[in-house]
Amino acid sequence: MTPRRAIWALAVGAVLAGAGLGAQDDRVTQLAREVAGRGWIVYAARGDNGTWDLFLMRPDGSERRNITNTPDFEEGGARFSPDGTQLLYRRFAKGTVISHDLWGFQGNLMIAGPDGANPVQIGGDREFPWASWSPDGKQIACLTQKGIQIVDLQTKTVVRELPRKGIYQQLFWSPDGQWFCGVANARIMWTVVRMNAQTGELNIVQEFQSCTPDWFPDSRHIIFPSRPAGQDGYGYTQLWMSGGDGQGARMIYGEDGYHIYGGALSPDGKYVLFTRCAKDGGGSEDSGAPICVMRMENAPAIAGASEALRKVHPDAKEAITLQLVEGWEPCWTYAEIGVGK
Amino acid sequence: MKAVSTVLLLSLVWLGASCAKKTQPAAAVDPNVTTRGSIEVTARLEEIRGDLIDDPMYDYAHVMKYKVLQVHRGKVDKDVIYVGHYNPAEPRGSVADARVQEIGGNVKQFRVGDVHRMAMEVPIDDHYMGGVINKYFGEVNDPVYWAVWTDRAEK
Repeated sequence: MTPRRAIWALAVGAVLAGAGLGAQDDRVTQLAREVAGRGWIVYAARGDNGTWDLFLMRPDGSERRNITNTPDFEEGGARFSPDGTQLLYRRFAKGTVISHDLWGFQGNLMIAGPDGANPVQIGGDREFPWASWSPDGKQIACLTQKGIQIVDLQTKTVVRELPRKGIYQQLFWSPDGQWFCGVANARIMWTVVRMNAQTGELNIVQEFQSCTPDWFPDSRHIIFPSRPAGQDGYGYTQLWMSGGDGQGARMIYGEDGYHIYGGALSPDGKYVLFTRCAKDGGGSEDSGAPICVMRMENAPAIAGASEALRKVHPDAKEAITLQLVEGWEPCWTYAEIGVGK
Repeated sequence: MKAVSTVLLLSLVWLGASCAKKTQPAAAVDPNVTTRGSIEVTARLEEIRGDLIDDPMYDYAHVMKYKVLQVHRGKVDKDVIYVGHYNPAEPRGSVADARVQEIGGNVKQFRVGDVHRMAMEVPIDDHYMGGVINKYFGEVNDPVYWAVWTDRAEK
């Protein structure tokens, strides 16, 4: 552990100890120490200039730095390429309200180094919507009105196209390149689906008020927020996972009073990232929400009183989560980026 | 005599007004509905299945069942069609937003029995990307139309 990181860990511990949280705090401090050296998290947050910028931080929240710092633009939706050597994101005109549902259709696609260096705009306004990386980082998959388009990044040409079959937002390509996941109108709207990237065959993963899916590193499981039926009133969005074939759906984390979005895995699948927001949608229209880190082995976990949720999931564990800064759509790489050296 | 003259005069005025009403040209049709989309119909709203959700957080289209009364433009093969209206809890005049910009009309509220003159496209997926509430899914295999412009029409 570097001296800087040790100081950070001590600071985290001191804050938690000051809050009088005892054994729980020790476990959180241990979690912070455990993840501190495991790569980097990129996320969008409000910069000092008031606009959305991209930031890097260690998974314990240390070594945070603004890597875009563009007072004339808003940025968000950052994703490391699978090998961690590139970063794609969207750049929006200053003052744009980033829609939690439409952001993949908004603004320009940008590709930069993993530390934000040498940003290059790819195409024009609203082009290459919902771009996501191919396994080798040489292509992107885009979700357009016409269909799912595979685009070669060097030539910017569409090399293959599939019908989108009702998928209407949040398309992501699996790490092994064999699948897409997205949100679709299947039997009902707000259904998370998986599509075979070769044949276009579609299967339902989770129906009813589910969205924003993303892949586990194994390409066999999908993580997604879901707001199940049967809750009092509007209810709260929880973080769930399922096999890509729709089997074995189960809750990862839930907390009454908060909507959980931004679910993403560490590259080895041992840790999960998410945001917890009192308002539904994840906070992109405002200033995001606190980013949290949890061990996957802690799942299913529940935080807070959450009396109603604990009745539904009586076997859930007490959540041990490391809460970091406010942000939106975090993404984790184990690549060493070199920032701060 | 004066009374008779007054009655005669009033009758003439009434007749004149009546004739004027009959010869008045029909209310001008909104050019938006006659030019937008590739299909234009006058149709009666027969059924709205499910509740119209008014949730500012989420956008969606709701599929409604119509009886076609007249086809003005394009080809419509069936008497009964299924039309998706975007965010139907909103008046058509203010429904356009960042997701769907080219949409409108003067219908303020969707009520079964009302007659609408609509500019449309088909199928909905070629013209709209977003959530669709289709309570006819699995029951009706007809293509779903996409309502571009929706004006009130005479019953």
